[in-house]
Amino acid sequence: MTNNTVTKIQPHWWRKSLLGVFLGLSFAYSLVALFAWYGPGGIDADIKVQFNMWIISPIWLTIIAFTFMFKTAKQAFLYLASANLISYTLFFALRYTV
Amino acid sequence: MKIRGDIIRTYQSIHTWTGIITGLVLFIGFYAGSLTMFKPAIEQWATPTVQELLQIPAIKLDQLINEAAKQQEKVKQGFIINFDENSSPMMWYEKGGGRGLRLDDQLKHATLNEYDQLVSYQGEKNMLGSLIDQLHRTAGIVGKVGHEDLGVLILGIAAGLYFLALISGVIFLLPTLVKSLFALRQNKGASRFWLDSHNLIGVVSLPFHFIIAWTAVVFALHDPFYGGLSVVYGDKPLFERAAPGKTSYDFSSLPPMQQYIDKVAELAPNHTLHLLDFSRLDTTSPSLAIEVKANDQLMRGGYSDIIYMNPFTMEVEYSTVYNEHNSNYGPIVTSFFGLHFGNYAGNLGRWVYFIMGLLGAFLFYSGNLLWLEKRRKKQQQQSKSSKVMAALTIGVCFGSILGVVVSMLASKWLYIYSTQTNIYYLYLYYVSFFAAIGYCLWRGAARGAIHIQLCLAFACLAIVATTIAGYLLPHLELASTFQQKNYFVELIAFVFAMLFFVSAKKTKKRATQGDKHSVWAIAPDKAKQVNQAIEVNTTT
Repeated sequence: MTNNTVTKIQPHWWRKSLLGVFLGLSFAYSLVALFAWYGPGGIDADIKVQFNMWIISPIWLTIIAFTFMFKTAKQAFLYLASANLISYTLFFALRYTV
Repeated sequence: MKIRGDIIRTYQSIHTWTGIITGLVLFIGFYAGSLTMFKPAIEQWATPTVQELLQIPAIKLDQLINEAAKQQEKVKQGFIINFDENSSPMMWYEKGGGRGLRLDDQLKHATLNEYDQLVSYQGEKNMLGSLIDQLHRTAGIVGKVGHEDLGVLILGIAAGLYFLALISGVIFLLPTLVKSLFALRQNKGASRFWLDSHNLIGVVSLPFHFIIAWTAVVFALHDPFYGGLSVVYGDKPLFERAAPGKTSYDFSSLPPMQQYIDKVAELAPNHTLHLLDFSRLDTTSPSLAIEVKANDQLMRGGYSDIIYMNPFTMEVEYSTVYNEHNSNYGPIVTSFFGLHFGNYAGNLGRWVYFIMGLLGAFLFYSGNLLWLEKRRKKQQQQSKSSKVMAALTIGVCFGSILGVVVSMLASKWLYIYSTQTNIYYLYLYYVSFFAAIGYCLWRGAARGAIHIQLCLAFACLAIVATTIAGYLLPHLELASTFQQKNYFVELIAFVFAMLFFVSAKKTKKRATQGDKHSVWAIAPDKAKQVNQAIEVNTTT
């Protein structure tokens, strides 16, 4: 515990906010996309489109809120971008192979 | 519970800044939202009794419609059949109609008299409740972006920041939550008391606040969210759109009303039929919107569920009345709407939401006060920005309430002396609102708070006095124009008059006897003049 300053959260307000807003939104959409196509009822279930629209914002806003837990903006970028990459890869793999 | 200091500081900053940015518009959204819980009651209170004509038995409705259609061409375009016992059985728009808020709609009411002759009355549709609803949705911010209100979009974004404020508030409160949640420390000074009540209300009503924040974001921003979703859906259309109709129908082929009543009983057995709204009957896409009510379950609209059908073929096009056969997701989505509207537990539920909404408004008000106090501790001298923020907090919050109270106070008098009531509501609201802000900026937050609260108290009392005057002075025709079935509006006005009196007194005490360096302090020499002014006010 010698380098105590390094483990503390760096504010990086603007960069973290922007990352949360944009990468958070795209990640939220990827989760909703997986749910829309492969969740209960599939893509054609009645009224499901409304449910899907409703769950985008709480996922998105929760991601934004917790983006500020990352120690640095760089770390926030790495984690959010990887999360996006994984979920979109999964989505497109399912969508175009299955 | 232990949380690292740097996390707490980070989330304290987020909580503070999201709160400060959005507090004022959300205050208006919340207190006006509380009032919309009783929107039909407020509009009924403000509508002259003569406008509501006597109901007739359902069996006579067809005769009424035929008589009206014979005499009035407009009826063949569309009309409304109302089954509520306090409303006219039939109405149609002589001017306006359709979706959106217009202040000069002319509504014609019609019924049959004892000789089965058509009796009608034309009047301006009272919009007091709708204007309060508009204030709730836009915070009074005017302007349009595309087809959406600018105020709605601003409130949608504010609601998103408010969602972040809720999460961050919980995170940085966690360590001290258990220890000090129920401690309302009155003996540790005013700011400690404000902090404790802010935290207590925030935590106790947290689920309500998460629901309101989330639903408000969705109500305001559903169009962009659907836009993004259409990319996800790819070639799949989001909504099945019915092809535009090619058939035109003859008005005389409209089925008898009993058929609709039977159909609704079949489609929605747990609901009661409220109204049938026929529109575009003379086009190739005629529409019938059926409003049905259920008092003890979640509903899609504020006060009703809705079924759309083709009025001639009685084919259902869309319905928010679900059963286990037609959808799993429908009831869930309806519950999101119902949880915002507070319509699932009858009037008791509405009163609970009314109080929760007011407590929410208190949350934003007290949050601003806390921030101002905290800034002051950092800087002994009052900065200009603190003073302006204090003046805005008082001016915007109390000014907005004053605008609504003055509009309600003027409402009955406007009906007696004029016919253009709705437009005057707007003038009165904005004049009161900006006058209050101007006064606070001019004379400072402390004096503004005392004087505007006194104004509010007197205006609330004057609402009660208006009703009493109606009975004491029959020649004014107030009581005969507005025959009231209950006195809830007067009761609430009286309660709030008392609250504002007490609060003004406490504010004055703090201004003259509290901490001299506070933004809420009035310098001693000037305080004397205010004292005298208040005594004059309260004695006259």
